[in-house]
Amino acid sequence: MEQGHQRICCDSAVFTAKPQSEVIADVKAGSKYAFKTLYEQHIGRVYALCYRLTGDKCLAEDASQEVFIQLWRKIGNYDGNSQFSTWLHSVTANVTITYMRKQRSWFQRMLNIETSGIREPVAPQETSDNDLDRHIRALPERARLVFVLYAVEGYRHEEIASMLNMAVGSSKAQLHRARGLLKKAMGCTDE
Amino acid sequence: MSNADKLLLQRLNELKKERQPERDLWRGIELGLTRQDEGAVDSAVINEHGVSQAVFASKGAWAVAAASAVVCSMLWFLTPIGNPSASQSADMLVNAPGLTHNDGSVNNYELVEAQSVQQRQYITGLLARYETTPALTKDWQQQLNELDTAADAIKAALKEDPDNSALIKMLHHVYQQQIALVERVHAPKWQQI
Repeated sequence: MEQGHQRICCDSAVFTAKPQSEVIADVKAGSKYAFKTLYEQHIGRVYALCYRLTGDKCLAEDASQEVFIQLWRKIGNYDGNSQFSTWLHSVTANVTITYMRKQRSWFQRMLNIETSGIREPVAPQETSDNDLDRHIRALPERARLVFVLYAVEGYRHEEIASMLNMAVGSSKAQLHRARGLLKKAMGCTDE
Repeated sequence: MSNADKLLLQRLNELKKERQPERDLWRGIELGLTRQDEGAVDSAVINEHGVSQAVFASKGAWAVAAASAVVCSMLWFLTPIGNPSASQSADMLVNAPGLTHNDGSVNNYELVEAQSVQQRQYITGLLARYETTPALTKDWQQQLNELDTAADAIKAALKEDPDNSALIKMLHHVYQQQIALVERVHAPKWQQI
């Protein structure tokens, strides 16, 4: 296992020099070496998005792993019509949201408690963060999801509503709420 | 656009696009791919637009470990902790030198095993100490067994993924709960006053 892991590390270096389209083609053909290269190229952005969406380091790590496992299975669905990073971001957002939903419903079933009773996780402060990143993590979950998807990732309200199973109006309301909370947290108010 | 909106927009533009995870995630992914190759990984559908309809069914040891963690969390939140020495004792275990830090040269799972042995010895000592003290509840041994089962499940998951910090934390938490349970049913706070 360890030897295999090292071999993948070494061989993946060969793929680093290749154009991304060729790396993707190799992954589609079943090359795990190429997949390791793809992982190294994209883990930073995937994890950043997972972390912003979940607001929790451990959940983000698990979700990132799930994203890449799903990516390995379904990369054949990537048709090359859009940028790979755009497609991967879409996969990341959807897998992470599904993962969070699954976690939440599982906890609710186990504990038999209502959503309103769940305390939002308090994200630890990290000195390397932009202040805004810390404030985003402290947002209530729905407001955070909508804000990250809309303001950071550039999704439209219609898309967000579909992804989060909510009405378009709710998405807009959550965005308004998130903005208000963020401005308040940053110590500024509308004039 | 108000000044507040401008400031928010400015901060948004300054957000980092990338962030590296603190632990190596590749190992777990590689493991997932291997399991997938063996047909043991859950099914999922990601359509051409990247829309995932992933079905996260049970994930073997992970799910068991997570279940165990919830059982422990329930105990933790539902039962008041009467004896601060319980958490101190567990912290002593958790922070034992060489057990929680991985310098890359030591197999983490061996450390987990060592910690497990240490925990067992500590619990045995604790039970011996309270041998003559009547327990406040009748089912505490069953609860202790359940925590043992939880710890075993987490250890099984750690065997597959020894660097998983979340699992290590869960295991520490279960061990803390075991100590707290034994101390609580034998030496509740009101008896110590």
